[in-house]
Formats: sequence, C-alpha cells, structure tokens
Amino acid sequence: MNLAPTPSKAALSESGVAISVRNVTQRYGEPGARSSVLALGDISLTIARGEFLTLLGPSGCGKSTLLNIVGGLIEPTQGTVTVHDTVVRGPLPDRIAFVFQESTLFPWYTVAENFGVAFKYRGVARVEWKDRTMKALSSVGMETFADHYPSQLSVGMRQRVNLARGIAAGTDILLMDEPFAALDEQSRMVLGEDLSVLLAQTGKTIVFVTHSLAEAVFLSDRIALMTARPGRIKTIIDVIEPHPRLPAFMLDSRFSELRNECYALLRDEIREAMAAQSGEGAR
Amino acid sequence: MKETSSLPARAIQLAVLTIAMGAWFIVGRTGAISPLFVPPMDAVWRALASLVQTDLFWSAVRTTLATIGEAYSIAIVLGILTGYLLTRSRFLTQVLEPIVSGLFAIPITLFFPLFILLFGIGPASKVAYGAAYGFFPIALNTIAGLSGVDRGLLNAARSMGFSRLGTFRHVLFPAAFPVILMGLRIGFFICFASVLGGETISSVSGVGRNIALAAELMEPARMYAWIVVVIVTALILNTLVSGLENRMRGF
Amino acid sequence: MSLTQTEMRQAGAIARPSRKQFAHPAKVARTRSLIVLGVLILWEMTTRLAGNSDLIAPPSSIVRALFADVLPDAEIRRAIALMLFEVVSAYALAIAGGLALGLGIGSTGLSRRSLFPIVLLLYAIPQVVLLPLFTLGFGIGPAAKIAFGFSHGVFPVLVNVVAGMRNVNPLYLKAAQSMGARRADIIRNLIFPHMVASFFAGLRLAMTMTLLGVILAELYVSTAGVGYFTKLFAENFDPAPLFALIGTLGLMAIGLNELVRGLERRFTRWKN
Repeated sequence: MNLAPTPSKAALSESGVAISVRNVTQRYGEPGARSSVLALGDISLTIARGEFLTLLGPSGCGKSTLLNIVGGLIEPTQGTVTVHDTVVRGPLPDRIAFVFQESTLFPWYTVAENFGVAFKYRGVARVEWKDRTMKALSSVGMETFADHYPSQLSVGMRQRVNLARGIAAGTDILLMDEPFAALDEQSRMVLGEDLSVLLAQTGKTIVFVTHSLAEAVFLSDRIALMTARPGRIKTIIDVIEPHPRLPAFMLDSRFSELRNECYALLRDEIREAMAAQSGEGAR
Repeated sequence: MKETSSLPARAIQLAVLTIAMGAWFIVGRTGAISPLFVPPMDAVWRALASLVQTDLFWSAVRTTLATIGEAYSIAIVLGILTGYLLTRSRFLTQVLEPIVSGLFAIPITLFFPLFILLFGIGPASKVAYGAAYGFFPIALNTIAGLSGVDRGLLNAARSMGFSRLGTFRHVLFPAAFPVILMGLRIGFFICFASVLGGETISSVSGVGRNIALAAELMEPARMYAWIVVVIVTALILNTLVSGLENRMRGF
Repeated sequence: MSLTQTEMRQAGAIARPSRKQFAHPAKVARTRSLIVLGVLILWEMTTRLAGNSDLIAPPSSIVRALFADVLPDAEIRRAIALMLFEVVSAYALAIAGGLALGLGIGSTGLSRRSLFPIVLLLYAIPQVVLLPLFTLGFGIGPAAKIAFGFSHGVFPVLVNVVAGMRNVNPLYLKAAQSMGARRADIIRNLIFPHMVASFFAGLRLAMTMTLLGVILAELYVSTAGVGYFTKLFAENFDPAPLFALIGTLGLMAIGLNELVRGLERRFTRWKN
C-alpha cells in the first residue's frame, strides 16, 4: 500500500530523468548450464534528477550488481542503462561517483593525496585541489585529518572521508553501496542525518544500497524493494517527506508504518535468502 | 617475534660463545678430536690471515660474487616479467600459477647435474642454476602481490576513470610492492646459497670450489678459513637486510 | 558532455563483463593439461629434429632410458634405495631432535630469549659450505648424508616448536585464566595443542629441507651412490639416463612431500 501516488511520467520528465534502466538482465555462466545463475531478471527503473532512491533487499538479491551496472563497472548481459540520455558503456567519472562499503582510500596515500589522485583523473585543475579537498572534508567534519594516512583513522572516520571523496567529485550522481554497513549504529545515524543535509544542499541524484530498513525509510524518496533469485524489483514505495530529513521524522507514525510495510513485503524473501545461504555451505 | 634481549639472556649468549671458543681451544691443544675434522684455533687463524693476502682469495671472491650477481639479475628480470604476464588475466593465473608453484616443490637441487651437462663445469652452470632457483620465489611473490591487490581498490580506480598506467602506478604497484620485495629478498638468499652450493659440488673456481678443494687436499685449517669468510659474509648480509626491512616497515 | 566510445577506450575505462564468476575448475584443469601436453610435444619435436644431442634428450628417449638403463640396473636401484633410507632416517632424527631441542629452548622465557637468537643465527648460514666438513668428519658413506640432512631439517622443526609454545592467542589465555585454570592446565590444554599444531605445520618444510640436505650430500660425493651416477651420465654426455634418474628422484621427492602433507592434514583437521 503506497501512502502517495507514484509521480506520474509527466512529472518525471519535467524534473528530468537522471537514470533510466531498461530491461536489464544479468546472467552468470552459460544459459541453460547447470551452473548458470540469473542474478538480475529484466529490471526496469527510472530515477529522477535530485531523487534519493534506495535499493533494499536481502543478501544476494543483486542490488550491488545492479548498482555496478548502473555505474558502468559491469556490462549487463541484456538491457541498457541510460544516464542523462547517454547509454552507459563504462565508468563515467565526471557524471557518476561511487561510495563503496569498504573504505577504498589508497592506504599508501594520505587523505589529501587520495583526493588529489581522484581529482587528477577527473580532470580537475590542480589549483582547485586543495580548496575542494578541504571543503569536502569540512562537510564531514574531517578537515583536521587531511595529512593523515587511512591506517591512522578509525573505520568510521575512514568512511566519512570516503563519503567526502565521493561528494567532492562534484558529479550529479552518487552511487552508494552500503556505505555505512561497517559502522556502529550511532555513527550510522549521525552520518545518515549529514547525508540528508548534504543532499538538500547539493541536489544530487543518489542511488543507495542498504540492508537496513530504517536507513532506507529515513533517507529515501523512493524505496525499490528487491527479491532474490532472480533479482527483481518487487515494488516501489514512496516516502513523502522533504529533505533535509530531521531526527524527528523517525518518531513520526508514518516512519514506523513505512518501515513495517517494507518488512512485511520483504519477510519471506529474507527467510528464503537465509535458507539458501546455509544450503550453499562454505564457498 | 622480536623481543628485546634482557641482560641475563645476553649473559647466557656470551657464556655459550665463550664455552664454544674454549672447547675449540682445548680440543686444539689436546687433540681429542681428529685435527683433520677440527683443526686448532690458531692454525685456522693463521690460515685465514695468510689467505686474505693472496690473489687467489680475491679472484675467487670476485668470481663468486659475479656469479651470484648475474644469477640474481636474471632471476629478477625473468621472475618479475613472468609474474606480471601471468597476472594479466585471472584465468591465466589460475591455470599457470599451480604449475610454477608445483615445479618449485621439487628440490631444484636435483636438477643441478642437468645444468652441468648443459653448461659445463664453469661459472655459467652456476649462473643458470642460481637463476633457475632464485626465479621461483620472485615469480611466485610477484604473482601473489599483483593478484592479491584489493579488488575494491581496483574498482574504485576504475570508477574514478584511472587510465591503465594510472591504475598501475597508483594502485597495483604500491599494493604489490611489499610482497614483491619479500620475494626479492628470499630470491637473493637462494641465489647466494645455491651458487655457493653449486661451486662446492662441481666447479673450477670460486669460493665453494676452494672449500671443496681444501677438503680434498686434506687442509682443514684452510677449509675452515674459507668457511669463516662465508659465514661472516652471510651474517653481515642477513643483518643488513633485516635492518633495511625494519627501516621500511616504519614507512 | 558525454565521452565518446574512443575517448572512453583510451581512458582504459571500458566496462568489462563482470568477472565475479571464477572459471570453471574443469576448464582450468583441462587448459593446464593441454599446456603441459603441448610443452611435452614441443620438446619431443624440437629435440628429435635437432638430431642426436649430447645435451638434451626427447621425452620418449628419457622414458625408454628409464626402463632400459636406469631401473634395471641393480647398482642404480641400490643407490636410489639408499638415498631414500638416508632421507627417512635424517627426517626422523630431525623431528626428534627438533622437538627435543625446541621444547628445551622454548620451555622458559630466559632460555628462549638467550638461545633462540643463536638458533636463528645458525639458520641464516648457507649450510652447503659445511658439506666438505661433514664428509671429513663422517666419511663419504650414508652417515654424512644423514647427518647433513638432519642438520638441514632440524631447524624448521625447532623454530616451529618454539614459536608454537609462544604464540598462543592471548584471548584464549585470558579465557582460560578466567575459568580458573592453573599453569599446568594451561600448558596441557592450551599451549601444548597449539605447539602441536605449529609442529605439524613445520613438518612439511622440514621434509623439504631434509631432502635438500641429503640431495646436496649425495651429489657432492661423486665416488658412489646417486652422485656417482649423475657424474657418470653428465661426463659421458648421456642425457637420457641422466634425465631419467633425476626424474625418478624427483618423483620420490614429490611422493615424500605428499606423504607428509597427508599426515599434516590428518592431524590438523580441526583447523580449516
């Protein structure tokens, strides 16, 4: 049960379509072979500019795969992805920035050097590096750590820098693959609020992957609930609440209703996924 | 397992050294063990002193060092190149790496007579043998280093639009370097030992040959002198390399 | 602004199909067998085309020499059997000696801090230069080879035993102490099993080193045994039987290694 009607097609084209996923299928192995796995089955999805869309689902439902396909890191077996009317055939570093689950800061460079090397390959002028680095770090409260090595930072701090690097890229689109998964719950909450604030300020389009129902409801404009084997979008739920989202939103009755609705829709899939995992044994 | 040596520990080590020296001295004086096996300490010392003044000594050292150097250089070039080529595709690595590590499981020393057959008993056979032996740890470590690079980092580089050269320079090389360096270290000591071994077993020149010759000619004092030279060199090298490693680890 | 396909390719940023799936193991094994077979065929063809060589023999000649010259020769069989005996004896002695010495050195902190560095120093010496010394002392019979094999193989065992007595996870120690274990219990139920695991891990390396020592000694003594025959074949430029003999010894080495690995697997099944 959606609490509000999905934005009509007309409304979408007014605000502009950022990402269009058409009939994307991802298969591993030869079709028909016993070892063949259908990771994603005929997925179609439209994401508007400035929208925060979350892919929510149990382990193994292909949400990370879908994210990688959208970002051009993986070529889908079938189907196309269009970003701002360009067909995606590879990474688009000036359009799309990734924030991965594990910190992908290079351990042999300092925080500042990590930003620098990212700027270099995005074609940012060297004179701008320092400014943009410090600005991005300030937005996550890490400006005093510019000359530290990643190993000198805690996991939470590293992920904050990771996030800052993604934002500093200055791209319209941010793809985030469970960026807060390695953090404790308190850090997750704080960073979630910060992310919402940043979103309101910059108007980026964000596609977010997570396991956490609460995170999905708190952050997103729309939640795409995915099923596993094969990965499909079961339904899309709207969350009508302006950005930046305030902590008070979590106390609203709508929040719990949405969260429960997500859980009700996903419960069976989650149980199936758990059963399948133990069946596979050690991989 | 580095631990600082305490004073009592140092005292015991000193005691062990003193006892060993003392025992050697006594054996030399009394002749309790055949002087053919354990010559008197002063005889060894005299032999050593006169040895280092001869041209023979220095030319033998030069030969051995040159052989080790050549063997090591070849091992490095071939090892790193092979390691790099084998990691160009995941499939290739899976297929070929077990062959390389499987070959290394056979004691390469067994093949030494083949090298003598192919290259004669001159230094060339020892260069080839040392290179063949030292090749393996270098190649295997290069493979491990390059293929063990965190996939997440490579993904991040790709998503940020790194060129192929950029990926190599900023991700692959810094990530793989410590592992490759360890391979280079092991490779060096293997080249060192295998060249010496080859010279001892079958050679016309070099330090190893001289040790074997001294034994053949029943000149134990001279043999010990040569052995002392090798041991001291090995210990110095070991300490140097360990020191370098510790310095690097801080970095 | 969108990048053209060419620009993307130049940037090396073309997406590749996901390589998430590892290649099928059967395919890998098949490719490997094909490559090995290919190398053998190439070897056979090039050496045959080159005619009678003093230096290399085609695989077929090697196999023939194995069954015609090497295995039927009683002297050679005796030499191989003797070498096997030497390896096994040296290995047994190395295990026993390494265990005893390791337990002794690792038993107290003081003995470890004082004596273990000496052991490590000795480990760093290229022992091969002592080989002529060994033959002066033990003669040129099996005793020298067993002794040399022992002196190579004892070190990995010793080092592993001492390390095993030391490196117990401090978390386990804390848990044991909190459960009221006394020192004797801790030694028996924590340190000893840990040492045993470490000990078994060192056995494979010990076999490799023992083999190395015995092989070096055998090759050095060229008046009898394996060393005599390798020298004979090499000097007479008779590659086929030389390859065959070395191949046989190589198989023996692999067999011994696999044996030890099997033993190790059996005794460390609790570790995955």
